Amino acid sequence: METESYTNGGGVAKEIGIANKQTIRWNDFVLRFLAFVLTLVAAIVLGVSKQNELVPVQLVPTLPPINVPASAKWSHMSAFVYFVIVNAIACAYAVISLVLSLANRGKAKGLSLTIILFDLIMMALLYSSVGAAAAVGLIGYKGNTHVRWNKVCDVFGKFCGQVAAAIAISLVGSILFLLLVLFAMLNLHKNRRH
Amino acid sequence: MASEPEKVVPPVETPEAEPEKAAPPPSMTRPTDYFAVADVVLRLLVFASALVSVVVMSTSKETEMLPYPRPAKFTQSPALIYFVAALSVAGFFSLITTLGSLYSLIKPGCCAKIISHFIVIDVLLLGIVASATGAAGSVTYIGLKGNTYVGWREICTLYGKFCRYLGASIGVSLFASVMLVLLVLLSVYSLSKKIPK
Repeated sequence: METESYTNGGGVAKEIGIANKQTIRWNDFVLRFLAFVLTLVAAIVLGVSKQNELVPVQLVPTLPPINVPASAKWSHMSAFVYFVIVNAIACAYAVISLVLSLANRGKAKGLSLTIILFDLIMMALLYSSVGAAAAVGLIGYKGNTHVRWNKVCDVFGKFCGQVAAAIAISLVGSILFLLLVLFAMLNLHKNRRH
Repeated sequence: MASEPEKVVPPVETPEAEPEKAAPPPSMTRPTDYFAVADVVLRLLVFASALVSVVVMSTSKETEMLPYPRPAKFTQSPALIYFVAALSVAGFFSLITTLGSLYSLIKPGCCAKIISHFIVIDVLLLGIVASATGAAGSVTYIGLKGNTYVGWREICTLYGKFCRYLGASIGVSLFASVMLVLLVLLSVYSLSKKIPK
């Protein structure tokens, strides 16, 4: 708080208090940084996941099974592609909003509202990507006998492990985005006129 | 000296044609609170779309002869079960918040503190509905297109009605999540208008 004091003609001292509105919200800054790190790690872990295996395929019952090289990559599954893209977008947005909120520091209200709106949209996209990757990963893990979708995790174990790790990390990142929105709401609620 | 008789001019009385009306009760002259009305409308839309999604997905059952009758139901996929459960929870909580907002609209100022907590419910519901939409959407997309790399064949050519019901349900839940975003945005905007400049 900055205060100035002056005396008017009557000799009465007055003090004018100027509220300092430029506050750095440290929890906001830390959350954004952590969200940036986590979404980056999740995108990278799934982005470099690849496993090559020799799968025995029995073409004719009389001949011994032939080993066919098969590979599991994240780009084979559209849900994983969506996951990597959304995490990359969220990571880029976390950096941009970090810089913007540090530069803004409560000065422009329109920018603060826009940042809250985009935080919300990013949170929804991240949650949907986690749900999509988890659903596909579950099918790959357990298979689905009703539609004859065989499981693949018994062959590509390392790939499935990387997918599971990426999903868990991204889930924590999306929870951080949720906390960002809630903290912004709390801040607005505290500063409002009663 | 003659004193002028004072002319007493009776004060001109404005004829009151109509009798004085009683002052209008102070509670009737309030301007419409557009935020509260929009709040109730959006919450009602969220509840309605969650209900429609759950009903459409629960009634999506199709049986095909291949050669023996094989049904396709939403209970055969854990992602679709999660979708129905999550949207049911969302519908239940949005019903509660709709009733709360409606009550606050009818009797303004009664429970402002509780209403201000509804926004937390909205944000959590958005996360849940978005994840459910993503999960069901990805499974339905694989059912629609198949995946040749892992040998998962498409099923929508066989079970056309089932896939159409799934697609409709997921589309309506996408609409619900957009309404939830608008709801949170509305609350944030109305909160920010109360902040002194």
